Amino acid sequence: MRRIEKKLTELSKNNLKAFVGYIVAGDPDSQTSLDLMHLSVNAGVDILEIGVPFTDPIAEGPIIQQAHDRSLENNTNLESIIDLIKRFREKDNETPIILMGYINNFLTYKDLINTSHESGVDGILVVDIPGELSLKDYGIDNQNLDIISLVSPTTAQERIQNIVNNSSGFIYYVTLRGVTGSSNLDGKEIAQNIEYIKSLTKTPVMAGFGIKSKDDAKLLSSFSDGIVIGSSIVELIHKNSENKDFHEVSDYISNMKDAIR
Amino acid sequence: MKNNLPDKDGFFGEYGGKFVPETLMFALNELEQTYTKLKENNDFNSEFHKDLTEFVGRPSPLYFAKRLTEFYNSGSIWLKREDLNHTGAHKINNTVGQILLAKYMGKKRIIAETGAGQHGVATATVAARLGLDCHIYMGSEDVKRQSLNVYRMKLLGAEVHEVNSGSATLKDALNEALRDWVTNIEDTYYIIGSVTGPHPYPMIVRDFNAVVGYELIEQSQKSFGRMPDSIVACVGGGSNAMGIFYPFIDMKDVELIGVEAAGKGIETGEHAAPLNDGSPGVLHGAKSYLMQDENGQVRGTASISAGLDYPGVGPEHSWLKDIKRAKYVAVSDDQVMKAFHMVNKMEGILPALETAHAFAYLDDLMPTMKKDQHIVINVSGRGDKDLNSVVEIEDIQL
Repeated sequence: MRRIEKKLTELSKNNLKAFVGYIVAGDPDSQTSLDLMHLSVNAGVDILEIGVPFTDPIAEGPIIQQAHDRSLENNTNLESIIDLIKRFREKDNETPIILMGYINNFLTYKDLINTSHESGVDGILVVDIPGELSLKDYGIDNQNLDIISLVSPTTAQERIQNIVNNSSGFIYYVTLRGVTGSSNLDGKEIAQNIEYIKSLTKTPVMAGFGIKSKDDAKLLSSFSDGIVIGSSIVELIHKNSENKDFHEVSDYISNMKDAIR
Repeated sequence: MKNNLPDKDGFFGEYGGKFVPETLMFALNELEQTYTKLKENNDFNSEFHKDLTEFVGRPSPLYFAKRLTEFYNSGSIWLKREDLNHTGAHKINNTVGQILLAKYMGKKRIIAETGAGQHGVATATVAARLGLDCHIYMGSEDVKRQSLNVYRMKLLGAEVHEVNSGSATLKDALNEALRDWVTNIEDTYYIIGSVTGPHPYPMIVRDFNAVVGYELIEQSQKSFGRMPDSIVACVGGGSNAMGIFYPFIDMKDVELIGVEAAGKGIETGEHAAPLNDGSPGVLHGAKSYLMQDENGQVRGTASISAGLDYPGVGPEHSWLKDIKRAKYVAVSDDQVMKAFHMVNKMEGILPALETAHAFAYLDDLMPTMKKDQHIVINVSGRGDKDLNSVVEIEDIQL
């Protein structure tokens, strides 16, 4: 069984929700990213989402944009990220890892993506493509990877079926109209839309974008299979990256994990 | 229509498409459906053409450049005077059309990106006419070098948002406008300023600018009894070039030449010429030639003209390049300044620095032409906005 499916089945057997945590590879630097990956897992992250930095990340709010910029200044690229994941796998062979990034970087490194499962990558999430687009048509074809797609509050119902058919691992439900790190979650709308997606597929549905507080996490996990948190973690990492004391990150993750129990 | 592209998915060959975050798909599909319906609608078309005639001042003249022609002594040079349009450039053709789409769609809030400020001014102008809330995104670098246009936008009632992220130029303004759109997707209409961005924008912006090419067909017939031999236009995103090229795509005898910004020289890497020194990639929703590094990161650009200072180009140009229907060349900042002065002195016309790129190519083109041939330059905009830059570049004390 693939790592993502295995992890999500295990959690659901125990009536638990999944916590997907996002960090940008190479922010503040590659070695610290490796440490932060292990730290996040120890604090309660079930699935790691590793941000691949891009010069023009149009779906990101300022917090994650700036993290991309910092990472690019360290010359992070997909090769160094795959290397980072290989090093992570030396100590952790269980936690699923998803690469989240923009199509132009993935296309540039398609050969690397097509063999990335050998280095321990479990899935990819391309932020700037519609969910029904076939990555195979663009030369990204790796049967061993899960392809995570996004569904948003504005996705037309007739498209959702095609999107879920084209996805595996989990569906990422974008909980608001906006970029990462925004606010104004509409619980009722989110509940209805996730229910509709779940009527079409058995693939688990995670909710993300705009989750900041324990209350947000608790509310959204009540009608999804788990939550994704990015900006808040990235912000705490940056805040503490000078002295590299990341207990605040660890505490935040543990608190959020408690909230979704 | 002169060709059937883009196809139903928005592609010109392998270029174009809709590479956007999922939240935008709804708005793009809505826009595509509305436009497909309205472009066949008589009321819509007559309203558009009435505005072009009475508000923009179309048709723009086709003017014989007598002294330039005598100077090169190898063919007749004609100028398609888009600089005479209201607000001073071809940009207004597109905004007049798109604001009508916004009106028909009932959108109350208008956003746009701008580089040199011409598209921002053209957008603020049409938004003011309809009393719509207007927000313009502009890189802080461009705000500095185009302060006059910033003030014009404010006079027109628009709010100008300075963008500090990335290189703080046109591409970053576009990023920020897209982020605004993702956030305010339901009540907001995004007026993209060039034939770039996700489908259906490259098609819509081309169609609204194609009035330039259609007029040229009639005017050529009237002025010299046949079609031109060569049409020359500058290319940043490529909207003025696409507008004048499009009606001629099927007329294989008409040579189409796009002139990119070579900045400090193609060989220096400091330029804005993706068709001359780029490779296919995806930026701002479309696949097209792109200035990028070996990691797929978008490279910085350099050009004397803010309007051409962009690492991408419209997807239809990429297609025209690959099928060899159009030829894309590049001229350096120094060549541009020389042409800028020459056009002022010899024709009494102050061209925009963007437009001066097209003129600069005459040095290479004219020696290859024969006396009985006709060359048309698309004078995409006037250069009043650039006077501050020119004064600074040439270190002139006023």
